[in-house]
Amino acid sequence: MNEIAIRTERLTRRFGPLTAVDSVDLRVNAGQFFGFLGPNGAGKSTTIKMLTGLLAPTSGRMELLGLDFQQNPIEVKRQIGVVPEGMGLFERLTGVEYLHFVGRMYGLDRPTTEKRTEELLDFMQLADREKTLIADYSHGMQKKLALAAAVIHGPRILFLDEPFEGVDALAAGSLKELLGRMTERGVTIFLTSHVLEIVERLCSHVAIIHKGRLVAQGSMEDLRAGVPGDEGEKKTLEEIFLSIVGQSGGERARLEELTWLT
Amino acid sequence: MAYLAPLPGVGEQLKLIVRLRWCLFKNGLRRKNNRWDIVGIVFAGFFSGLLIIGLCAAFFAGTYSFLAKNRAGWIAILFWAIFLWWQIVPLFVAGFGANFEFGKLLRFPLSLRVFYILGLAYGFADFSAVAAMCWIASMMAAVVKVRPPIFAAFTFACVLFVLINVTLERLIGSWLERIFANRRARELMVGVFLLSMVSLNLLNPALQKWGSGARPAVLHYLPYLSWLPAPLAGKTAAHAMNGDFRGLVAEFSGLLLWVAALSALLWLRYRKQYFGEQLSEGTAPATRRTTTRRSSEGVIGILPPAIAGVVRKEFHYVTRNGFSAISLLLPPIMVIFFSLQFAGKNSMIKEHGLSPEVFYPSVMAYLILILLSPAYNAFAFEGRGIQTYFMAPIPMRDVLVGKNVFLGCLVAVELGVSLSVLAWRIGFPGWASFLSTVTAGVFAVVAQLTIANWSSLSFPKKMEIGKMKGQRNSGIAVWTAFGAQIVIGGIASVVLLLGRWFGNTWIPVALFAGFTAAALGGYAASLNPLSRLAEEKKELLIETLCR
Repeated sequence: MNEIAIRTERLTRRFGPLTAVDSVDLRVNAGQFFGFLGPNGAGKSTTIKMLTGLLAPTSGRMELLGLDFQQNPIEVKRQIGVVPEGMGLFERLTGVEYLHFVGRMYGLDRPTTEKRTEELLDFMQLADREKTLIADYSHGMQKKLALAAAVIHGPRILFLDEPFEGVDALAAGSLKELLGRMTERGVTIFLTSHVLEIVERLCSHVAIIHKGRLVAQGSMEDLRAGVPGDEGEKKTLEEIFLSIVGQSGGERARLEELTWLT
Repeated sequence: MAYLAPLPGVGEQLKLIVRLRWCLFKNGLRRKNNRWDIVGIVFAGFFSGLLIIGLCAAFFAGTYSFLAKNRAGWIAILFWAIFLWWQIVPLFVAGFGANFEFGKLLRFPLSLRVFYILGLAYGFADFSAVAAMCWIASMMAAVVKVRPPIFAAFTFACVLFVLINVTLERLIGSWLERIFANRRARELMVGVFLLSMVSLNLLNPALQKWGSGARPAVLHYLPYLSWLPAPLAGKTAAHAMNGDFRGLVAEFSGLLLWVAALSALLWLRYRKQYFGEQLSEGTAPATRRTTTRRSSEGVIGILPPAIAGVVRKEFHYVTRNGFSAISLLLPPIMVIFFSLQFAGKNSMIKEHGLSPEVFYPSVMAYLILILLSPAYNAFAFEGRGIQTYFMAPIPMRDVLVGKNVFLGCLVAVELGVSLSVLAWRIGFPGWASFLSTVTAGVFAVVAQLTIANWSSLSFPKKMEIGKMKGQRNSGIAVWTAFGAQIVIGGIASVVLLLGRWFGNTWIPVALFAGFTAAALGGYAASLNPLSRLAEEKKELLIETLCR
């Protein structure tokens, strides 16, 4: 039986009268490349924030690598890496200084931190910007740096909130390869993205959240099987997603009204 | 193919922009904090109205008096006052007031001519411009009252003067927008502004010392200013009264030249903006790939890695914040200022000023008050980086200790430098006095840091480096700091007075040493509860600082 990397039970988060995440039961095995999908405002980022300790759940339980988050927050954080929404960078540091800072925060000794910083900056093609402040980085460069910071300590679970947004195709290709190799070595990757093609290509398992509720979860094959259609036809993730989340005919009717544009 | 509507005229575009600015203002009031701003705006409006009306009366009376006493040339003084007001007040408003990026209008299909006219229209809508035009109108009213024959000439001079002012103000504003698009320039400006304000305190001693000697030089160079707009406008009234037509033409020509020159410069400036000037900060030029520097950690190497990391990060943040870096120069400057004013033979308060025994603790108390005030909102500049603290596998205790260690070291260095300056300026106060000051300082710093940590976690407020507008701590944090400083200052004063009462200056040293030990114990005991508080306040901190 596979080791479970992430397990939530009736995980709920309310903001006043709004229930952003409603009784979500997630199960992600170790070494899985897991895609977490949903429309805007569905509760993806809120779920990631709870799973990474940035937001306390209103109710429910979370276990990461068999550890209860509430009971062992420090130990859990030691084993995970995160690229949060907004990236969480200290913009007045240079890339080198930021990675040194993060490495030290995760308890790496100085020589290891420096060696990994150098290697990561090289890999992310940021090495020639070592004296540039993060505030002066482009969005894509900031994203790459946030990714470097998330992996510098060798996490066992990696949470990535829209990791490829703004990253150029060249770097995105290298990153995908890196993430693929990490999962081969048993690292669990929990990824959200609105680019369904990326999720389809990278992820072995997917969950879909809609209006705070988990509406689907399983391998790509499981999800395809659950969607009605012609037998033998291989549905794309986009078709699966639209079928599950539901696309009413309303959009088409409204499109017809835009005759002055179309 | 979609139908493309014809473009609106200049008048319609102006109306649209007025409506846009109104909507921005109205929507800004929706936010909870800004509703209180309405009260502020009502008050500000009332007092601004009083200022404008009051000064209208003053400008009327001034013009009336100068013309009635045949001193028409002196009207230049009034024009000077208006000129300085018109050009200087917008600089402050640009720093502290709401910014509307005029250049953003360029995304719309405007011609360069319309863009220029809109730019000038913006200039006329400024508070400083409205006030100045009211004052000029009151001067014209005085002319009508006392010398009606010169009204036409005076009005023409006023119109040119207004055009010069509005064009120059827009030109300066446009250049400032370009210069301050650079982050480092903005930060530097804030620091220089602060230093300038503080340096004004040195003006009085400087004037007392060198004022009389400088007067002849000032009077010698004063005539060279006569070709500037204010004297030119002022002299038109005198020439008109004397019937000096040639003089009048010369002054008008001077004013027209100013209008033409400034308009041409503003046109060139706007043209550059219009054709896509790059104002945003570009990334710094790429440097050649070099091997990552491997430096030793020095003294902070003895600290645990996470705390050392925070100390290093705080150091980088202070050096990258032009305002903070420059404000570190303040304590020695203030010490020099205080010693000039209150000590030595030129003292303002006694024949020989305050003694070192009184001066040392007073100045130290003041400096600690200044240096520790940022500690009450210690996460102000973290921005989104605050998430890193909560994602890292360390308790918030380590972050607080790191921040406190850095601030403590900074305060120690600042006080050390200031004490040296004091010793140089007014002498050494004696060992008992010196040690009581130092131990009192340590007690005050440690005790305040404990309270400041709680305040930072409970009442965070985001601040941005290099900005002046809205850069203040939350009201409760300010009151907390104020209360803590009064209590700690009160304790320190009582202890010092006890020493004087008993005639033994070593008593305060012993008492302060005891208080310091107690404060250190309290500080250590507070760290774990503060870590738990940080967990409770996590969402508030992230929401406030990542906004």
